[in-house]
Amino acid sequence: MAMKALEIYKLLPKTNCKKCGYPTCLAFAMKLAAGKADVELCPDLDPETKTLLGGATRPPIRLVKVGVGERSVTVGEEFVLFRHEKTFYHPPGIMVHISDTWPEEQVRTVAEDVRDSVVHRVGTDLMLDGIAIRNESGSPTQFAETVALVEACGDLPEVLIAADPAAHEAALAECGNFLPLIHAATDRNWRECAALAKRYGCPLAVRAGDVKTLTSLVRNCVGAGVPDLMLDIAPGSLREFIAAATRIRKAAIERTDPDLGYPIVFDTVPLGITDAALAAGVLKYAGIIVTEPLSPASMEAALTLRQNIYTDPQKPIQMTPGIYPVNEPGRDAPVLLSVNFSLTYFTLLGYLEASRIPCHLFVVDTEGLSVLTAVAGGKLTESLVAASIKQFSLNEKVDHRQLIIPGYAAPLSGKIEDETGWKVLVGPRDAAELAGYLEKEWRT
Amino acid sequence: MQLTEKEDAVLEVQLGATRSEGGTREVSYRIGGETKLPFTEAEPDRLLVALEICDETQFWPPVIREYVGDLADQPDEWAKTAERTWGADLVRLNFTSTKQRGFDDFPGITKTMEQVLAATSRPLIVEGSSEPELDSEVFRRCGEAGEGERLLLGTAEADRYRSVAAAALAYGHAVIAQSPIDINLAKQLNILLQETGVARDRIVIDPYTGALGYGFEYSYSVMERIRTAGLAGDADLAMPMISAATDALAVREVREAAAGDRDAMAVAWEFYTAFSALAAGASIVCVRHPMTVARLKNALAAMQPASGQKEV
Ligand code: B12
Ligand code: SF4
Repeated sequence: MAMKALEIYKLLPKTNCKKCGYPTCLAFAMKLAAGKADVELCPDLDPETKTLLGGATRPPIRLVKVGVGERSVTVGEEFVLFRHEKTFYHPPGIMVHISDTWPEEQVRTVAEDVRDSVVHRVGTDLMLDGIAIRNESGSPTQFAETVALVEACGDLPEVLIAADPAAHEAALAECGNFLPLIHAATDRNWRECAALAKRYGCPLAVRAGDVKTLTSLVRNCVGAGVPDLMLDIAPGSLREFIAAATRIRKAAIERTDPDLGYPIVFDTVPLGITDAALAAGVLKYAGIIVTEPLSPASMEAALTLRQNIYTDPQKPIQMTPGIYPVNEPGRDAPVLLSVNFSLTYFTLLGYLEASRIPCHLFVVDTEGLSVLTAVAGGKLTESLVAASIKQFSLNEKVDHRQLIIPGYAAPLSGKIEDETGWKVLVGPRDAAELAGYLEKEWRT
Repeated sequence: MQLTEKEDAVLEVQLGATRSEGGTREVSYRIGGETKLPFTEAEPDRLLVALEICDETQFWPPVIREYVGDLADQPDEWAKTAERTWGADLVRLNFTSTKQRGFDDFPGITKTMEQVLAATSRPLIVEGSSEPELDSEVFRRCGEAGEGERLLLGTAEADRYRSVAAAALAYGHAVIAQSPIDINLAKQLNILLQETGVARDRIVIDPYTGALGYGFEYSYSVMERIRTAGLAGDADLAMPMISAATDALAVREVREAAAGDRDAMAVAWEFYTAFSALAAGASIVCVRHPMTVARLKNALAAMQPASGQKEV
């Protein structure tokens, strides 16, 4: 079970010697309790305490990296079952399936598509993560050739899916240094797979249809010197996946079964159902999801879902407050007051750029709340507006003294005018009507 | 291993009434009854997919108007096609006509209700008035026309629940209780409704669903919180939930999709939103694109527990 900071503190030397890099033993204990520090940092612990604390304070789910470089994915280190309890930290890597029986052209098209497709949302570029190459030909040589083809398309993280260790060996000769996920060690081939994973330092998935076999595989592979593991429960249905993944996640975060403290791999392809499986993987605890190639619509929706679910519930995606010039505004261009919720900013920006009207977007800090929510929650106030005008020297940016506020902030118009001395114009509620409004109403 | 320590269940709510139950429906549904997190029990699910239709399509997404063509002018035919051709478990009829300025065609409400009830054989969800001033007359007409049918009538909100509740009580219907993404407000409204006499097992919670990419994460989490609170024994939150991402087809991704891709984008957006709502604990999901219904039904069929499902 997890230990509380005070329980941990009792076991530390309490000398506050700072050798761990933290100012006090208590500060170090708090970091340990949060799973954010390593017991090894304190040199003055006896080995017994170290083992005890190590088991209780390492993150409940091991952090595992697949691939190298910019596009590599890191998963694990999650702490909760429900995102509202804290947040989910490491979005699952979505790996698109390629078979080594496909013609070269098809392999290349799919791999390039994964490499190049981008979805732009609220200031972030969302992308698929990598390629899962499946050995369906039965031939190690053909498997390795397909892997080489994928390698030639760029440095995307890879999952190597094969039952035959000889196929893995051949493929790893092509890509072993780029940390592909080897999938999967089973009770038949784990020795060979673990040896390969150890040789290349790669992460390894273990696969079994029941938890008992799965945990014994974990112990075997760890014993064979492979620390970076992932779990594949070999679900026979989507429902089995959700039920099993939920149990594994729960056992891991409650530390009732340390051998389950690894990220989950979900190979959706054998289930023959794409969108539902992908959504379920994103929602229900998958670390790596293998999927059929996606239509553009499915890709956009799936990546958006992943972004939503992995947004910190306490911290909406936010813009830095400030004055943003849009369409090269001059000193007589209108000033539009808005909030620092990214969704609001990018919705507005979309309409403004399309209309080509120059303006200054004056974004104040509502802690990431939308206009209506900020007004209702008292986060958008006249004093905030007044303070922000000073902070960002709005006076020096324009020659006029007029502020256009969102329609939803209309109840604040009088108060903002009094507090700032600026003339307040109430704009429309819907950003879609903003261009028409500015054309009609804006005069300096 | 058990996921929820206590064995409290989501309340059962009956929708629709067959002849022997005092209505005219060929089937009635019981939703709720779950004792665990979604898709983790051994019992078959009782999840429903509703297709939304309306009586005035100027307020309806263009992508749907185009897809359904002439049906858009005949709510009864639209409803019939939803059940028979598109495979919806039930229809949600929205009286969008009440959004028109100066609306006063109250007899039209009764007529449409009668036509749609005659054209359908399954339970019916009805979204009555969109204007507070119209509430009492519109809800009364909806309730009266559906007397005995155990409609699911919406929508009650914290400052607008008396007329819906009155119509539901007078004519024996269940009520949709909507609150803005907040577990405490959801609970409060359920208590208010019970104080007016609406029974616990006649309430379905609508926690408000923001569209995917537009606040959906808040809705997802509040649904999970309501479901776990219900299972943990909070009787005023143990009602089944309904989810309708009303704005899912108004998002930029759908609006700005190329003409040839628009249906696919609409369906993907609705599907990912609705499926995720089911995974968070919703019992009924409402969508507007007929093709989304089929996708959701397929997914749910594939999700039913197999008799030989392994215990892992
Ligand atoms: C998601 C949401 C939340 C999220 C917060 C999300 C966020 N980051 O803001 C959560 C769950 C935390 C939340 C909390 C609350 N919420 Co809330 N929430 C919503 C919801 C569903 C969507 C808001 C949203 O994301 N809108 C999208 C963004 C893009 O809209 P926007 O910022 O307004 O921007 C648009 C326009 O304003 C305009 N615009 C923007 N800037 C500018 C600038 C100019 C110059 C112009 C002209 C136009 C313009 O363009 C944009 C696009 O059209 C709305 C319901 C709804 N459908 O609106 C309720 C809603 C805003 N919430 C409401 C309330 C009451 C609250 C709470 C006070 C209580 C509660 N729990 O519900 C709390 C307060 C929070 C706090 N900390 O104090 C009410 C507000 C009621 C009212 N009329 O005042 C609403 C309307 C729900 C309702 N029907 O009751 N909420
Ligand atoms: S190194 Fe050890 S003894 Fe020194 S402050 Fe850190 S925890 Fe305390």
